[in-house]
Amino acid sequence: MRKLATLLGSAAMCALLATPLFAQEGNNSIVTVVKVTGENWFTRMEEGVKAFGEDHKDVTTRQVGPAKADAAQQAAIVQDLIAQGVGAIAIVPMDPSSLEGVLRRAQGRGIKVITHEADSLQNTLVDLEAFDNTAFGAHFNEQLATCMDGKGKWTSFVGSLGSLTHVQWADGGAENAKKHPEMELVSPKNESFNDANRAYTLAKEILRAHPDIKGFQGGSAIDVIGIGRAVEEAGLADKTCVIGLGLPKDTGPYLESGAVDSISFWDPKDAGYVMNILADKVLKGEEITDGMDLGVSGYNKVAVTKGPGEGVIVRGQAWVDVTKDNYKDYPF
Amino acid sequence: MNRQLDGQLGFLVGVNVLILAAALVFVGGSFVNLFNFQSMGAQVPELGLLSLGVMLAMISGNGGIDLSGIALANLSGVMAVLLVPLMVSPDAAPVAYTLSFAFVALVAGCLGGALNGLLIGYAGLTPIIATLGTQLLFTGIAVGLTGGSAETLGYIVPMDDFGNMPFWGVPLPFALFIAVASLLAVILRFAGFGKRLFLLGSNPTAAFFAGIPVRRMLFTTYMLAGVLASVAGFIIAARTSSVKWDYGTSYVLVAILVVVMAGVRPAGGYGRVICVVLSAIALQMLSSLFNFMSISNFFRDCAWGLLLLLFLASARIDLTPYRRVRS
Repeated sequence: MRKLATLLGSAAMCALLATPLFAQEGNNSIVTVVKVTGENWFTRMEEGVKAFGEDHKDVTTRQVGPAKADAAQQAAIVQDLIAQGVGAIAIVPMDPSSLEGVLRRAQGRGIKVITHEADSLQNTLVDLEAFDNTAFGAHFNEQLATCMDGKGKWTSFVGSLGSLTHVQWADGGAENAKKHPEMELVSPKNESFNDANRAYTLAKEILRAHPDIKGFQGGSAIDVIGIGRAVEEAGLADKTCVIGLGLPKDTGPYLESGAVDSISFWDPKDAGYVMNILADKVLKGEEITDGMDLGVSGYNKVAVTKGPGEGVIVRGQAWVDVTKDNYKDYPF
Repeated sequence: MNRQLDGQLGFLVGVNVLILAAALVFVGGSFVNLFNFQSMGAQVPELGLLSLGVMLAMISGNGGIDLSGIALANLSGVMAVLLVPLMVSPDAAPVAYTLSFAFVALVAGCLGGALNGLLIGYAGLTPIIATLGTQLLFTGIAVGLTGGSAETLGYIVPMDDFGNMPFWGVPLPFALFIAVASLLAVILRFAGFGKRLFLLGSNPTAAFFAGIPVRRMLFTTYMLAGVLASVAGFIIAARTSSVKWDYGTSYVLVAILVVVMAGVRPAGGYGRVICVVLSAIALQMLSSLFNFMSISNFFRDCAWGLLLLLFLASARIDLTPYRRVRS
């Protein structure tokens, strides 16, 4: 009896806590599912999701995500959203392949599926990519070339050779470097395994092997941190150019010291907003066409190509370049 | 003892009814309909099977626990994905592929469980340390074999149907889970193994002097837990058509919660399969209910923690005076 009483009590508590949070949802609701709740990146994305809901009163938007980055928990959330019968699911998959089955079920129930960062996923109507990866790599290299005056040795880093996007950035950079005949690529595609310490040791080795190296292109978001530290310790902050993917908050100190010259990323707030635009369009039955203007900077002229399944892939040119002067504008 | 058993069972039935009632009040029709029950039913088995494994380990006493369950489930899935295509082509013979997949997964689970059994039964290691070690080992092997990325199976019709298509309204993974649980319940209740296991858990010293082969019993128990994990691994592979080393890493602790909530005694010697099944179902319904009401997933973790403490505390409060009076 005692247990029953405790349980009744706690259930009642839960109920009390829950009531005001619960809102009826219907066919015009768009739910954004992220990899994990509470990470700066996805907190920033939620701003975009909320902003879309405020700008468009005819749809309700919200963002959910597991408390731990676990593909099983993300799949469970999607499963419950399907049973609930929401209008559209916009999802940033933790592990695209493990969601194929559950997303197929969602589509079978008439729920519109929009994805982000998952151009290999088959069971989606629209996949949003912030940019074309090769073009992003070329963009890095162009910045590097400007910084190096178009001559000298440079190298590239990747998180791992298995990370497709990182390899595409490195290759895109190398391809672009052919425009600058005096730039020489040495020991390309160093694998940092998404570990800043490993990037640091690798960068030190490269500095020993090529003391006259001028440029580094980072791959994973922490590469620039490791490279920056190595360059700073070698006292070469002013003589070398370090450019790559990075997050403003983490890289801030190195941007200040000049060890890292510029970082680029895509703004998750815009990505969240644009995912909801696409979901809204799909819900209203509007077509998404090549060269369309989605009304968000970086997505003014999107490229639309056919995806691996029935759906399409939408690509923007939504990279944001950040230097010492403006990194404080991005709080993540 | 018997009255206490039924108390736990009745209590869990009550919890389930209560959650359903709460769902009716707060969410209404969209929760209590066939589709959602199928959806929840398909989600229960993964966690449920792992919980049954933890239950077995706990019953065996001596601080028994199995932390390596989900790691072994993923590893057996990985083994099957890598090995089976070498023997059977998924496109030419999908049914044979599915069956061999299940077979390889079970063998892998058996071997992994046997390793746990050797370490705990024969080498005499503390279960929590030994299974923590094997958890890391299994995860490490799975990462090494796959390079850390997901391995996809592709669309294999019989396997996908098993994972995602209800048969006569019942999700097949759920049916399999109930079948496995029933079998286990029968073994624990009627077979000699079950009787010896409960004796062993209640008092290992007495069991030893009563001539129960303690080492072999522990070995078999942990091997069974491994087999249960590999069944979970097969279900995961069927439902997601892929395997990955870090799938369901959050299950480890939730499985323990399910088992404690089911009234399995952490010190060993007592536990009922039906209570674990009901407890897993209750947790699944509560979890889905939270999702339906868009309650933050952090609150859910917090609620799980509170529940765990509550159940541990209540088990202590209820048992101690009762036992003192009797002895």
